[in-house]
Amino acid sequence: MIDNPYTPIKTEVVGVNEESPTIKTVSLKPEKPLHFKAGQFVEMTIPGVGEAPFTPSSSPYEKSKLEISIMKAGRVTAKIHDLKKGDIVGLRGPYGNEYPLSEFEGKEILLVGGGVGLAPLRALFLALVHDMDKYKNITFCCGSRTPSDIIYKDCVLDKWQKMNKKVKFRITVDKKDNNWKGNVGLVTTTLDNLKIDLKNSVAIVCGPPIMMKFSTFKLLEIGYKNEQIYLSMEKNMSCGIGKCGHCRLGNFYVCKDGPVFRYDRINNIHEIWD
Amino acid sequence: MNIYFINRPNLDRLIKSLSKAYKVYAPVKSDGNRYYQKVGDDGLGEAVLGEIRPVQSIKSFFLPVRTKISDYFYEDLPGKKSRPVAIVGAKSCDLASLKVMDYVFRQDSFKDPFYIQRRDEGLIISSDCTSHGESCFCVALSIMPYPTEDFDINLSEIESGYVAEVGSEKGEKIAKEYSKLFQKAGLYKDKKEENRKKLTEELLAHVKDKKIPGKDSLQPLFKKKFDSELWEETIKTCVECGACNVICPACHCFALKDQGKDNNFERLRLWDSCLLRSFAMVAGGANPRKLLAQRLRNRFDKKFNFFPDTIGKFGCTGCGRCSDACPGKIRIDEVLAKLGI
Repeated sequence: MIDNPYTPIKTEVVGVNEESPTIKTVSLKPEKPLHFKAGQFVEMTIPGVGEAPFTPSSSPYEKSKLEISIMKAGRVTAKIHDLKKGDIVGLRGPYGNEYPLSEFEGKEILLVGGGVGLAPLRALFLALVHDMDKYKNITFCCGSRTPSDIIYKDCVLDKWQKMNKKVKFRITVDKKDNNWKGNVGLVTTTLDNLKIDLKNSVAIVCGPPIMMKFSTFKLLEIGYKNEQIYLSMEKNMSCGIGKCGHCRLGNFYVCKDGPVFRYDRINNIHEIWD
Repeated sequence: MNIYFINRPNLDRLIKSLSKAYKVYAPVKSDGNRYYQKVGDDGLGEAVLGEIRPVQSIKSFFLPVRTKISDYFYEDLPGKKSRPVAIVGAKSCDLASLKVMDYVFRQDSFKDPFYIQRRDEGLIISSDCTSHGESCFCVALSIMPYPTEDFDINLSEIESGYVAEVGSEKGEKIAKEYSKLFQKAGLYKDKKEENRKKLTEELLAHVKDKKIPGKDSLQPLFKKKFDSELWEETIKTCVECGACNVICPACHCFALKDQGKDNNFERLRLWDSCLLRSFAMVAGGANPRKLLAQRLRNRFDKKFNFFPDTIGKFGCTGCGRCSDACPGKIRIDEVLAKLGI
């Protein structure tokens, strides 16, 4: 008999970490192994409440558990924010495609993340630094609304910055507070005066739709080509397997043909930024 | 495949026998319309196998309005069905919709065990249309008013009985097992062709009046009209009820809803409608298709652009049910005609 693709794997919550006033990271241990690649997503079930799609934010090389960073945005995510260690949830997946790491080899890699969009980029970043000798360097541009909205603070502001000489960070906030000494401005301002050989670079963008739109336009403006830009699209991925119809984007289903798209594959779709 | 003749009393006997192994549904007339109803104890009873398509499509037999697809974390669904469904009197437009449904639920990369079970176990005894409805336009999409494939047995009404064409091994098995009920088709075969030709000509004339552009020009015309006023103009009378979606044999979209709690939750699959506001909405309320006009256009995009590119077929079979069901009197044949203006 064919497997039932709608049944989640029973999963234990093994930790909850508050990243920001609106974002929590939950650590999960599924009963059966669920191995994902950076960029792929999973459907997380809160028993009796519903399901929602998330891209894991932990390293794909971490096999014993996976982490998901979740912004409180709707009905299901509000319940996820109430989770405690020991609670039982469900997971299905992984679904969709991953970041094509082989296409990034030998290149200067630009990561552009906004808000909770940093979550998938964290998984990607950890996968990249795992094999750092394959890549020329990484420039990681992070934008958040305010300093308290920065997620993975101890990593982004400290640990990752010292990790490898080939990794550089550009961090900005839209609005500073009294303690903030760093850059102020939208994430697109971090793309000014990049010290990158654009011809040998790829840019990976993840964040809210409006941020992705303006970051993509800015990248094109400074000289990136459509085929050098990779986007993680967010649509209403409900079934995750290309059947329910909710996440259609042109001739693609984001759940099965994405969520990672090279920009030249989708730039002509009418409703891309809607 | 083999062709036979079966008279109505013998067909009733056959249906009665089949009803031991199948739940048999056939179109029964009420208030001038045809509705699928359970038959079998008296054979076909009052069922009408000619005329036009029933009000409902055959979609719900394979993709029920509501299916329990997960029960806590147990993987024992789908369970064994007591008796599978036999549909008698399915029309060509509905068989054409199976191309879309089969692609989505059984041929595409992920397989849906619930749909596949129902399709594999089900029996389809289809039948020719003998007239056409006002909203019918199948032939404009090169779908004939008589089944040409995807049936187990097809019945073409002739005088006191039916020419029975076998279309599958399952159908052949039935014809062999009940061979006493079948006769040689003989000259009835010619009569069948004559009837088919006559109705097709009538339908072509009917469709000509609708001024629907040629089949091959529909997709290019849709692309051309993507940003036109057509969608705003057409949507004015829409009340966002979703009837066009639920009545459509080829609309496959569904919503997943969980209910119950803790150790006792279940996941339901329910028909959904892309005309409803929340269809493409994501958590936090962002909505890629906020406007009703965008959602109407999306429906045509899926049917006349996405599916032609994906499977080389339209996601519409010309059954015209959405035109009949729409309380706002939005007619798919008129929208298609306007694509060409």
